[in-house]
Amino acid sequence: MGLAIALPVSLIVSSSSEANSEPASIEVYETTVLPLLEKHCYECHGDGYDKGKVAFDQLETPDQILAPELWVKVLVNTRAGLMPADKKPRLSAGEQATLERWIKRDVFRIDPKNPDPGRVTVRRLNRVEYRNTVRDLLGVDYNTEHEFPPDDTGYGFDNIGDALTTSPMLMEKYVAAAQAIINEAVPVMPRKPAEHRVAGTDFAGQNARSKWGKRQLLFSEPASVAASYKNDLPGSYRVKFDLQVNGTYTPDPGKARLVLKVDGKEVTSQEMVYHDEKDFEFESTHRWKPGEHTFSIELSPTVPSGGEKTTTDLFVDEVTVEGPLEAAQWVATTDYDKFFPRAVPQDREARRVYARELLGAFATRAYRRPLNDDTADRLAGLAEATYTQKGKSFEQGVAHAMAAVLASPRFLFKLEQPASHAVSAAVADVDEYSLASRLSYFLWSTMPDDELLQLAAKGDLRRNIPAQIARMLKDPRSESFARNFTGQWLQARDVEGIASNPRQIILRDAGEEETLRQLRQAWMKQDETTAKILADKIDRIVESKPDFDNDMRKAMRSETEMYFAYVMRENRPVTELIDSNYTFLNEELAKMYDITGVSGKDLRKVTLPEGSARGGVLTQGSALLVTSNPDRTSPVKRGLFVLNNFLGTPPPPPPANVPALEASESEFKDGHDPTLREVLKVHREAPMCRSCHNRMDPIGLAFENFNAIGAWRDTERKQPIAAEGNLITGETFTSVAQLKKILANDHREEFYRTLSTKLMTYATGRGMEYYDVETIDQIVKRLDDEDGKFGALLTGIVESAPFQKMRTQATVTAAN
Amino acid sequence: MSDTKVSKTPEQLASERHASFSRRRFLNGAGAAVALPAMASLMPRGAFAASTKATAPTRMAFVYIPNGAIPAAWWPAGEGGADFALSPTLAPLAKVQKSLQVISGLEDLSADPGPDGAGDHARAGATFLTGVRIKKTAGSDIHAGVSIDQVVANQIGHLTRFPSLELSCDVVRKSGECDSGYACAYEYNMAWRSHNEPLSPEHNPRFAFERLFGDGPVKQRVANLRRRQAEQNSILDYVLADAKSVNAKLDGRDRQKLDQYLTSVREIEQRIELTAKMKVQNPEIDAPAGVPVNYAEHVALMFDMLLLAFQTDSTRVATLLMAREGSNRPFADIGIASGHHDLTHHKNSPEIIAKVQEIDRWYVTRLAAFLEKMDATQDVDGQSLLHHSMIMYGSGNADGNRHTHDNLPIVVAGAGSGTFKTGRYVKVKPTPLTNMFLTMADGMGASAIEKHGDSTGRLSI
Repeated sequence: MGLAIALPVSLIVSSSSEANSEPASIEVYETTVLPLLEKHCYECHGDGYDKGKVAFDQLETPDQILAPELWVKVLVNTRAGLMPADKKPRLSAGEQATLERWIKRDVFRIDPKNPDPGRVTVRRLNRVEYRNTVRDLLGVDYNTEHEFPPDDTGYGFDNIGDALTTSPMLMEKYVAAAQAIINEAVPVMPRKPAEHRVAGTDFAGQNARSKWGKRQLLFSEPASVAASYKNDLPGSYRVKFDLQVNGTYTPDPGKARLVLKVDGKEVTSQEMVYHDEKDFEFESTHRWKPGEHTFSIELSPTVPSGGEKTTTDLFVDEVTVEGPLEAAQWVATTDYDKFFPRAVPQDREARRVYARELLGAFATRAYRRPLNDDTADRLAGLAEATYTQKGKSFEQGVAHAMAAVLASPRFLFKLEQPASHAVSAAVADVDEYSLASRLSYFLWSTMPDDELLQLAAKGDLRRNIPAQIARMLKDPRSESFARNFTGQWLQARDVEGIASNPRQIILRDAGEEETLRQLRQAWMKQDETTAKILADKIDRIVESKPDFDNDMRKAMRSETEMYFAYVMRENRPVTELIDSNYTFLNEELAKMYDITGVSGKDLRKVTLPEGSARGGVLTQGSALLVTSNPDRTSPVKRGLFVLNNFLGTPPPPPPANVPALEASESEFKDGHDPTLREVLKVHREAPMCRSCHNRMDPIGLAFENFNAIGAWRDTERKQPIAAEGNLITGETFTSVAQLKKILANDHREEFYRTLSTKLMTYATGRGMEYYDVETIDQIVKRLDDEDGKFGALLTGIVESAPFQKMRTQATVTAAN
Repeated sequence: MSDTKVSKTPEQLASERHASFSRRRFLNGAGAAVALPAMASLMPRGAFAASTKATAPTRMAFVYIPNGAIPAAWWPAGEGGADFALSPTLAPLAKVQKSLQVISGLEDLSADPGPDGAGDHARAGATFLTGVRIKKTAGSDIHAGVSIDQVVANQIGHLTRFPSLELSCDVVRKSGECDSGYACAYEYNMAWRSHNEPLSPEHNPRFAFERLFGDGPVKQRVANLRRRQAEQNSILDYVLADAKSVNAKLDGRDRQKLDQYLTSVREIEQRIELTAKMKVQNPEIDAPAGVPVNYAEHVALMFDMLLLAFQTDSTRVATLLMAREGSNRPFADIGIASGHHDLTHHKNSPEIIAKVQEIDRWYVTRLAAFLEKMDATQDVDGQSLLHHSMIMYGSGNADGNRHTHDNLPIVVAGAGSGTFKTGRYVKVKPTPLTNMFLTMADGMGASAIEKHGDSTGRLSI
């Protein structure tokens, strides 16, 4: 939980009946809190001690006593059992309650009946939300991950209003994207020639190969393939060959002559050279009678093989036949009616009215709320200014104005408004349209659908929340929620891109790093014979393990997403995110996990065998991979991952100038390659490292049976792995399975709180502040009361003040 | 491509063997760097953006390398001056040694921990061009400063179609949290337009190219650019009106967000106006295909884009992030399987130090290739493009192992049209890096700048 800037919160709630006046708060402090501190804390934080620069007896003025930053830490550390430290007795339940009550009411000045909703800085659509919104608005899949720069993140998420900015470059991209999207989505001709596609895979003949599901011809061998099409009407036809030249890696000298024929007559003949994914289009027009027509593609090598072999490919994407081209034979354009349901009027005024109607409806959906008066007029004016130009059609004018809508801040930003009724002078419900967008961007990462907008229009959304949540979770769009939340909370997004060297990792596990070093020396000495023997040995070791390729990475990411989606949709206890007897696997991933009986590419739910160490996200490939270095595991990163994302008690960052682990390896003078457990033990001997590493290392070391790509191993550097340890909070375990049980049971409340905090951050688009403590506590209590069911968490969040309400303008002004 | 050549490392072979898996996703690149056109065919005399005489403008670029450099291998021996031998790390620069300065003694003390504790990487990255302490925040109140490139661009940016260009070679970003409580924005952006507006860099060479010169076939490119911009004008008018109606209702931070939007829209409008007035220099080459999977090729292409932008006078101010500060990239093509950042904490193990040095030299090698091209490119006045440029290369970390921010590894290539005397190793007493920025800004003709960040004056060397 972030430390908040102590701004106007006291203004907001000080008027409530619950909060004490400042003198009264100090009095409660002195009579009930101070005695607790003296009893439990002064040994390190009073009487002349100021461990961690905290000394309670140095707090003198009311400002010092009532500063939230200090008490946030007190709250977190006492709740987690980290304070009092070193096996000193914890506060009794009654004492803890007294302390918490005072912190919440007197320091944080929280009124539990009317908590401060906080303020969310207006959020720009991030590139995921933009892509989904455009898909739902126009049916176009615009690849924003490719086209837009990555969004800046805050609090670990990419939907945080304060962190999202709009640079000139991004704005340029928005305008260009708007034009490209509308261009693709909106048909501007009511009728056009019929179009028929002949798939590349329909081409058959000599050396017709397949790759990536496409028809592939090689530059290195002669090929001749053909396909045919039968037309019914006489007339002119345009035939378009779509081909792609795609070479591997680096340019190669391969050349081949390409000959294209239509009905045996040559239409193109040209020499093709290396390109990397370059598309080619060849067009020709023909007069046809009704009947069968053949298209053939011939490729013959012109630079013969020998020397360096060419690996360039020619892919046959498709052949498009357009026609008859004569206007009388044109057919209705697909989807034209969707955008232009009526015939375009001829009269100027009627045209304007029609444009206004079309654009008003479109902008209402795109802006996700009713328009203010003049928007539709301005859009109609923009369209008119275009379609009255020479050579421009009515449809082109409307399309142009639609592009303007997509570049508008009202599309690009989630602009929110208070409902007309205020809860108090400082707080108001967000209006129903804002609520609809909050819900849809939270659970779907996209715009609200018609049902949400209709409920909002009637003012019925707020009272139908549970039913809407249930409906929204069933909808496939909720997969975005699983994907984006796990993608960032558990960094599953990084699985596909993170650097990893499976060879090195496998050799380390096998204790064969020395072989690799010898191989490198052999290369350097140009000793080819030795190199070959060593390389073969290494290949044998590496190839005995499942391939760690892109498909595997994708499967790992999907496993985590599907697992989360299952817990979400089936309303399972959230502790199953830590521990369960099932997971989601396909054949490849099952092989990696040593689980038999799973075949095929699709992932599905698999009940794990008795005693399996898997189950729960922590022992999934995704989490194990993203917490590893490129060449080895990192128990420290793994421990930190659990503390940060599951227990909510991140250790303070390391002091400056600490040595990294590899450093400690040099301490092992006997020449053996030490295990990480050995290395970390040396590292913890340094007093400056000990206090935090005692918290991280035991957790991380419990996962040492999983290597840096998530596979099980019994040895590291030929030494057996022992996964036992003690947590700083006292629990002992001998296996990762036991550790997971401890986390899911003994640390359940911390996990509830941490997950709630992460999910609230994601749901609201802002970091959690000290005044949110009560909101989170209420959600945790709800989870506790409802057996940790995911639904309790979700409903708790959606019904919370930060999700439902906003500070009113007056307060916002005061806060800035 | 043959597997029997002995010169290849096992990692190279492995990566080739596994190439087919990733190529669909990653490989869009043109293989190697683009073949840049010769100056003559590209740039007729007097065809410069806004200059009427055939005097060449001065350009400025900042190139960032992460995690500092091993000092012992970076610094040349001796007492400095014109007669110096390049150090092992800088040796690849031999061909352009006469056109550069190695400068020691510069520091970025805003990156020191001070009261903020850990997070030296985030700080080194975000203070490097801003020279101010950055606020430790995970997101709500990001606060750095305006970076020097933007300060200069604010003064002279109107002379070219692009006030500045921001480039990066980081394709993938890390999810979740970044360095020790600092928002990721601090690490992934070099250029800051205001204290809380980082300018996200472009990492795709094709997009960088098309942004500069338009898209489509070579001959139609400029026409495409102009046509598209003409269409955009009325869109921009509409959204400006929309933004104003929204903005009137907003306050505080919400208003700032909309103001950013408005400023960006206006900047595009200005660019459209400039493009209409100026001749767009169209390099007679195909645009790069996309982001090459090979990092060396990617870096080379981004340098090419930088060179093209300068050569065509599309901009005079640029930043290029070779990799974000704290980058943990492994360098498989030179046999280094561990991550760069992990390795920099070497605790004096000679074996590990040697690897870090290799990485340091790997980066310098890319720089050298760029500088050699800059040197071989003739500017309108017959001098080299490099002569008219100031390319500052370096890191906000000095010793990556100890996270020091004094005596930063800095090379400045190019004379800045006479701003600097090149071909020497200059040792200055500890001086804020920002002092040199002021000198560079003067060289750019942005002379009214009194102070930048923690500057204490101008660096006269």
